[in-house]
Amino acid sequence: MINRTLAPTITSINEISFTAPKIIPLNQHVNLFWMSEIYDETTRIELHFDAGTIRSAEKVAGFVNSLLLSGTPTKNSTTINNELDSLGVFTDIEVGQEIAVVSIYCLRKNAEKAFSIILDAITNVNFDENEIEDIIREKKQNFLIGSEKVSILSRRKFQESIFDNSINYSRQLKLEDFDTITKESLIDFHKAHYLNGLVKVIIVSRLEEEKIAHIAKTLTEFCVSTPVKFEDNFINKKGRIDIQKYGAMQTAIRIGMPLFNKKNSDFIDFQILQTILGDYFGSRLMSNIREDKGYTYGIGCGVSETFESGHFIIATEVGKEYVEATLNEIKFEIERLQQEEVDSDELTLVKNYLLGQLLKSADGPNAMTDLFIGAFNQGKDLTFYQDVINRINAISAEELKLTAIKYLNWENLTIVTAG
Amino acid sequence: MIQFEKFTLSNGLKVIFHKDPTTPLAVINTLFDVGARDESPDKTGFAHLFEHLMFGGSINIEDFDAPLQNAGGESNAFTSNDITNYYNIIPAQNIETALWLESDRLLSLAFTEKSLETQRSVVIEEFKQRYLNQPYGDVWLELRPLAYTTHPYQWATIGKEIKHIEDASMEDVKSFFYKHYTPSNAIVCIAGNFELDYVKQIMEKWYGDIPSGIKPARILPLEPKQEIFREKTIESKVPSNAFYYAFKMAEKKSFEYYVTDLLSDALGRDKSSKLYISLQKELKLVTEIHCYITGSLDNGLLIIEGKIAPGETFEKIDSGIWKVLEELKNKLLSDSDLERIKNKISTSKEFQEQGLLNRAMNLCLYELLGDANGVNEEASLYESITAAHIHTIANEILITENCSLLKIKAIQE
Repeated sequence: MINRTLAPTITSINEISFTAPKIIPLNQHVNLFWMSEIYDETTRIELHFDAGTIRSAEKVAGFVNSLLLSGTPTKNSTTINNELDSLGVFTDIEVGQEIAVVSIYCLRKNAEKAFSIILDAITNVNFDENEIEDIIREKKQNFLIGSEKVSILSRRKFQESIFDNSINYSRQLKLEDFDTITKESLIDFHKAHYLNGLVKVIIVSRLEEEKIAHIAKTLTEFCVSTPVKFEDNFINKKGRIDIQKYGAMQTAIRIGMPLFNKKNSDFIDFQILQTILGDYFGSRLMSNIREDKGYTYGIGCGVSETFESGHFIIATEVGKEYVEATLNEIKFEIERLQQEEVDSDELTLVKNYLLGQLLKSADGPNAMTDLFIGAFNQGKDLTFYQDVINRINAISAEELKLTAIKYLNWENLTIVTAG
Repeated sequence: MIQFEKFTLSNGLKVIFHKDPTTPLAVINTLFDVGARDESPDKTGFAHLFEHLMFGGSINIEDFDAPLQNAGGESNAFTSNDITNYYNIIPAQNIETALWLESDRLLSLAFTEKSLETQRSVVIEEFKQRYLNQPYGDVWLELRPLAYTTHPYQWATIGKEIKHIEDASMEDVKSFFYKHYTPSNAIVCIAGNFELDYVKQIMEKWYGDIPSGIKPARILPLEPKQEIFREKTIESKVPSNAFYYAFKMAEKKSFEYYVTDLLSDALGRDKSSKLYISLQKELKLVTEIHCYITGSLDNGLLIIEGKIAPGETFEKIDSGIWKVLEELKNKLLSDSDLERIKNKISTSKEFQEQGLLNRAMNLCLYELLGDANGVNEEASLYESITAAHIHTIANEILITENCSLLKIKAIQE
């Protein structure tokens, strides 16, 4: 009989193999990243545009994004969708705060055709009145449905408060904005931020080299011609904001503060610290607030990075009777990190877990490409991840405690509840 | 093509090994042949509550997650009406840590009162977060009992009501475990860069001495053939009216299941589908509309759901939908329509199979259906479907007598 009380020996991860995509410059400011080391027939193409919500004072970024496949002078939206679906193509078109991304997923044999249909569609949008009306109606309904969710209500207010000193970053869509959209503002935004707004291209595919070169050449005319700038030095509105949502059974909580991204030398230390606090299943927030108290189905935290900055956020939904108790426990866990050193078992566990996660983040051509881009966006290369491995192995409990004292101060946090 | 090997331990545990030489990770996926359909009507939500308890410590190991995380791994699980599925993803060199943990919780749980009390509370919060505190979140709690009068698909995996979860006792938990969590009722898939001999050896090492148990016989009440149209309207504080048409369809093991899957794609998978073009683009009656199948192992449902545009009515939607359905029943799907739907399926399959975990889960599911190799036969099965097949199924199932309609009527606060 095997002795089941003894854990098998663990071999720690010392080395992770990282692969960089090829970098093909489209001009001085824009690159195409091509990961060709892939063993299946899938193709993923991503076009990144300088077309995020921060770029539109008229708040049209999301509408233009939704209209990208809505028709050209020669094709209506149904024709475009039909052509793409016939090739078995999936698209994912999204707008974020800083950039907008058009993603194409298809089989390699259809990649060129899919690319040219999509490029034609998104660069020749004719902004048909009917299509604009459709999109406004659909987005308005979705907005209203979102407004019924405490998670979304709290997120909107949190974003507004965390970027309090920036008009562009704190901007949130309001119900009345749906009635003030003009065709001209859509056309202007499209011209400035799509026709002259390409900032990055990602391809993960075994496509032939000359086909990649062709795609690169075709895209050159849409690239930005000057370096794209993003804001930093955000200041949040500190303290607590409660949003009332009549009849809600749960309350959404968002807590956080402006922070930094990979460019800051404390980034890795903070990542390790916040993992201990709330970024894995066995974290202190999960153990305390879910597994011990049962206040919530889930609680977690993370660092959300922007190109020049970043912020820290804790998020959960709790039974409405547990809001104050939950806030107390979060405060307690943050202060515990500042007052007590993490014991060695927990620290070893988190180190091993993080190395396992990094191994997973580098597994497969798509994951590896995303990992690379994550570093490249902030002026780093793959040596950054070797630094991560080294730092995970080296960091001490004392250094983590100092990191907590330096960055996690309850008085500096924005606290939003919606329920 | 997903390569795999199969073997069975002497205690009846079925093992599938899928070799992937390209990954440094290992996946250990365990499927238990038990889901919400195996619950009794007065104790629903149990299979799912139990899934939570599986992380609350086992007979020899106090905590499931910590040792796994310490070995660089992570774990999760899901429960459906049909199955309960647990998985671990871990650096390949530490696979034995995952097997140690998985095999110990199959041997027996710790069954602590604390774990039951906490998970009861966590699941109640999950009930609120996913079903009660979301606009339209309670739809499946209403639609299932409308569509099914007899079969246990009439309740959702979360359970009929919070009270069933509140009432679960330690005795219930134990008897559920001893009945369903046995080697004879499980399928394990090991995926990663290993050799077959090694996999056999470590599986025997960790699982070989666990008593087989008896695979529970499943005798579920059969859902009688639906003969009359059923309709229910509920009022809810939501922004827009919504509709859910549910048509009974064939079980997963049948050829008709796959035909119905294509039928649902033709009707409402994407923006070239018939319902989208007609109701959303041309008539502008809805702000969204979708058609899909529930994917159930027993007789499932084909669902048409959508949200009604401001100012439009349920009556107009109804005639719009039935017009599209009648057209499809009267006229064969064109070759280009059929090819389009099949091409989308090919693409999504190629992307799905990129993931090691997806491959492992699918192998287990197909093994449960009779043969893991079904995962490799799926593509040719879809390929063999003709417009005539779809025409036949459309005429069989898209009829009022086979339909249950749930209307959500928006009311002001």
